[in-house]
Amino acid sequence: MISEQARQIASQCRHYAMCKIDFLETGLCPAGEKRHYVSYFPQGRMDIYSALANNLLPLTEGLVDIANTCTLCGICDKQCHFVTGMRPLKVMEALKRHVEASLSENKAVTKIEEDAVLKDLRKIVGTEWATNDPAILVTYANDPFPLKDMQMPGYVVLPRTKDEIVAIVNMANKHGLPYVVRGNGSSVFGIVFTDGIVLDMNRMKSIAIDRDNWVAAIEPGVTSFDLQKEVQKHGFRVNVAEPAATVCGNIVCTGIFSTWSNAYGVAADNLINAEFVDSAGHVFDLNDVGAPNIFAFRNEMVPPPGICTKAHVRMYPTTKDEQGLLVPLGTFDEAVALARDLSARRIGVALAVLGGHYLSTFMSPSAALADKVKENLTKSLDINSMVFMVGDRYARDAVKKMAGVTIDDKLFRMLMLGLPRLAEDEWAELLRNFEGDKYAYEIFCMEEMYPLLEAALSPSPETLAGAVDEDLRDFYAQLYSRPEMTDLVWLNMFRIISSRMARHKHVIAFILYVPLDRIDIIKEINGLFKKVGDKYGIENEFGFLTPMDFGKRAILEYDYYIDQTSRSDAERIGKAMTEIDPELERLSADIKGIKLMKYILSQGCARKEHFLYR
Amino acid sequence: MTGGTGFLGSHIASELLRQGYRVLLLVRPNSQVSAHARVEQLLTWFGISPKDKRRLKVIEARMDQPDLGLTQERYADLTNTIDEIIHCASNTSFSERKRTEVERANIEGLQHILDLAARSKCYFFHHLSTAYVAGKKSGPCREEFVETTSFTNVYEETKYYGERILFEKCDDEGIRLNVYRPSIVYGSAEDGRSLRFTALYYPLRTILFLKNLFMKDIEESGGKRAQQMGVKMGTDGSLHLPIRIEAGNGNGINLVPVDFFIKAFMEIMDTCLEGSVFHIVNERSKTIDALVEYTTRYFNLEGIEAVRTEDFDKQSRNGLEILFDTYVDAYKPYMRDNRIFSNDKTRSILEKKNIKCPDLDYELFSKCMQYAIETGWGANLFGKQHQ
Ligand SMILES: NC(=O)c1ccc[n+]([C@@H]2O[C@H](COP(=O)([O-])OP(=O)(O)OC[C@H]3O[C@@H](n4cnc5c(N)ncnc54)[C@H](OP(=O)(O)O)[C@@H]3O)[C@@H](O)[C@H]2O)c1
Ligand code: SF4
Repeated sequence: MISEQARQIASQCRHYAMCKIDFLETGLCPAGEKRHYVSYFPQGRMDIYSALANNLLPLTEGLVDIANTCTLCGICDKQCHFVTGMRPLKVMEALKRHVEASLSENKAVTKIEEDAVLKDLRKIVGTEWATNDPAILVTYANDPFPLKDMQMPGYVVLPRTKDEIVAIVNMANKHGLPYVVRGNGSSVFGIVFTDGIVLDMNRMKSIAIDRDNWVAAIEPGVTSFDLQKEVQKHGFRVNVAEPAATVCGNIVCTGIFSTWSNAYGVAADNLINAEFVDSAGHVFDLNDVGAPNIFAFRNEMVPPPGICTKAHVRMYPTTKDEQGLLVPLGTFDEAVALARDLSARRIGVALAVLGGHYLSTFMSPSAALADKVKENLTKSLDINSMVFMVGDRYARDAVKKMAGVTIDDKLFRMLMLGLPRLAEDEWAELLRNFEGDKYAYEIFCMEEMYPLLEAALSPSPETLAGAVDEDLRDFYAQLYSRPEMTDLVWLNMFRIISSRMARHKHVIAFILYVPLDRIDIIKEINGLFKKVGDKYGIENEFGFLTPMDFGKRAILEYDYYIDQTSRSDAERIGKAMTEIDPELERLSADIKGIKLMKYILSQGCARKEHFLYR
Repeated sequence: MTGGTGFLGSHIASELLRQGYRVLLLVRPNSQVSAHARVEQLLTWFGISPKDKRRLKVIEARMDQPDLGLTQERYADLTNTIDEIIHCASNTSFSERKRTEVERANIEGLQHILDLAARSKCYFFHHLSTAYVAGKKSGPCREEFVETTSFTNVYEETKYYGERILFEKCDDEGIRLNVYRPSIVYGSAEDGRSLRFTALYYPLRTILFLKNLFMKDIEESGGKRAQQMGVKMGTDGSLHLPIRIEAGNGNGINLVPVDFFIKAFMEIMDTCLEGSVFHIVNERSKTIDALVEYTTRYFNLEGIEAVRTEDFDKQSRNGLEILFDTYVDAYKPYMRDNRIFSNDKTRSILEKKNIKCPDLDYELFSKCMQYAIETGWGANLFGKQHQ
């Protein structure tokens, strides 16, 4: 028996792999932590349940083991709710029930026989770490990308060392089998699939800190979150991407960019050295005289240079007085101009222009509240754009002087912890009718206002926790009583809420580099995305813009939101993409500084100068 | 008629229907509620009978476009139906940051309606202006078009330039023109009902908001924030809100209740057939002192006082005063008004029918506040669903 409710939840798994990092300090899914295959983590279990619902899976030994190892501890319910608002525990219960029922009906448990390839793989990594069980394979066969169908691999293998990887590559070559490398399984663009062998790096998670050189050496299974956590202990910070993504994966794939790119740069800027196993099974590192020059850039789609088995990345110093600051602005133009000015002046370690959806989603633990807040931000507070920065007190002083009105750490905390009250109508109405020459947010952010805001919002972890399901309130109240959960710096270093972007729907993010001094072009690009999105009835919104390279360039993200299970949404996004692509190509050919992310794929180690200064 | 969904426009339209006129409303489309639905809602609020409603026609039109967003055919139809135009549509925002929209409505929009008048068989144009086209001025303001160059805000300015265009165009086209210039209109003197809760209402609403906030803080959370703002419990359960309001040295606020405005408008429209300018104002302004007294009495407050500019040391402002000041900034020119609006022409017409502007006394003030609070300052005028 398949539970319809569980099936629906399972079909909505966003594959962000957030359940594979301990980002809420709940601990990890115990089964996943022990067994490493994604199949044992909540994300894999969601896929398995979907596959069962679609009649794609026999009852196998693997399936039984996966079902049995779930303790119904409920950790995934909390983690997943924080990100997607979903409650996957229902799926976990349904999965267990389903398997138990099959067993009690005495259905035969299939054992998939070991073939020659699997034998070879197991010889390399040990029996436990290679498999051809369909229940496991199916969790490496799909992601929410709407334009890619399911592709089952033949084998999944989890190597522990570089030497094992070399052996696997040689073996694959010997059998003439294709292979792909999977980081943490958080890629959502349909690119990590194969009929051959999937190498899952989840067992290669070591981090070595070189304090003297301010360098961290990492293995390919290390996630952004885990690395950031480790270097933070030493008083440093790294420039990393989404928390659940593996750092090596990001380095090879798109190169690392983030709101911190204003100070830390992108792509090769963060890389000290890296070690690869190439397609012939040879090992090289970037300082080998004969190594391929992967700092160069070719304006075409190229295969990755190999499997990254180790990376040495820069660690950046932090200062004790760093804090985040938000600058509300009445128009997008004002926000871009300010961000550019700040970047040109070298102000702001992290710096970005944020869209309304971003901010409201980041702050709200529920989608309903986020919607309300978003509306209030624009309609009542006149905030149409927001510049976000992190800086020491000198930098923040400068921004305050330049921008006038700012939301500092203290005000941000107050707003966030009082968010449900802020969304109440009385406030909104009062501000909406304000007739002065000032923007409503200017009054709102006045220091004189703070006691009033405190009285009105009663900001507290409990107030904010009031926005979620009743049975989760205690958990959220505890969560929000941890200072980092309302700290702009921490939240942006660890980026645990960026995956919330896709809370209400799956997000397809279009990312490209743009020249920041050409706001006309930036607006043209935003306009193009909007026009095409609207034409096909796709929900769409500006995401963010991060300045870099002294305000010369920026990274632009524009987002399309779709239902990942809807065929018609997939068709529409397909049409939209075919329409947008030539337009972007034309712009990119005509205007210096525009570069589409699809060309940088697999060239993430390139020097930015080679792809941005053409 | 334009602006029929607005505060004054809807009152005028209802009165016209009651008196047996045929009324055609140009209403702008709105993405959420259709023009017809919006008008219907208002007519219900006014209690217009189904019989009277039958004389009403609603057309969706965009004043900001030269052809009003109509097809050629519809536009031509319109020009053949119109006898008189009452133009009430206007952007009534004072805010400089809304300048573009305000200009578009009050100048360009007006121009488009004037074009319609010129191209149709319209012989009389009734224009809703404001007494404050007088601009930054002290002393007497006459019931005629007077050249001015400085204004307290974009609203006054665009209403002024609108009038200028209007006079020229109507003169050129031989269209008779009445210009009605009310001062500040509030709820009905009969029952306190109103449709708009800005102007007079906004500062009061702000004060009530503050009161409720701090009462709650004191009663439920120990009053720490109240204390920070110098707010405390006063005598007899009242709340002490230390707010000095800079009242300047003006005459106070010129306020007219909406029922008086309507009577005056209808009487002038019926009587004055040659065309002129009329100040529909109160001969006695309301002092800030009096309003403060009403407010503290009605809301059971202490500590609010009106002070003259020379007695008000800006440096010593407390947080609450800074806030209140910022909130009501846009209304200050009207609180410290020195303009005196002569109303000889209006009076000579109204006197004959014994129509007089009632004084805003405490009883009327209470009626208006009661209605405002009952309807959530307009949020649930038509029931919750129509916020
Ligand atoms: N109320 C007063 O105290 C007062 C005092 C002196 C003078 N006046 C004058 O009296 C007239 C009416 O004022 P009111 O208080 O009734 O104003 P209101 O309640 O704000 O109503 C304004 C009306 O104009 C319409 N409108 C605004 N911008 C428009 C645009 N761009 N295109 C088409 N229609 C537009 C509105 O339509 P929507 O419903 O679609 O928004 C509404 O029907 C104005 O000319 C004003 O200057 C009023
Ligand atoms: S309930 Fe099951 S799947 Fe979820 S975290 Fe616990 S063990 Fe993992």
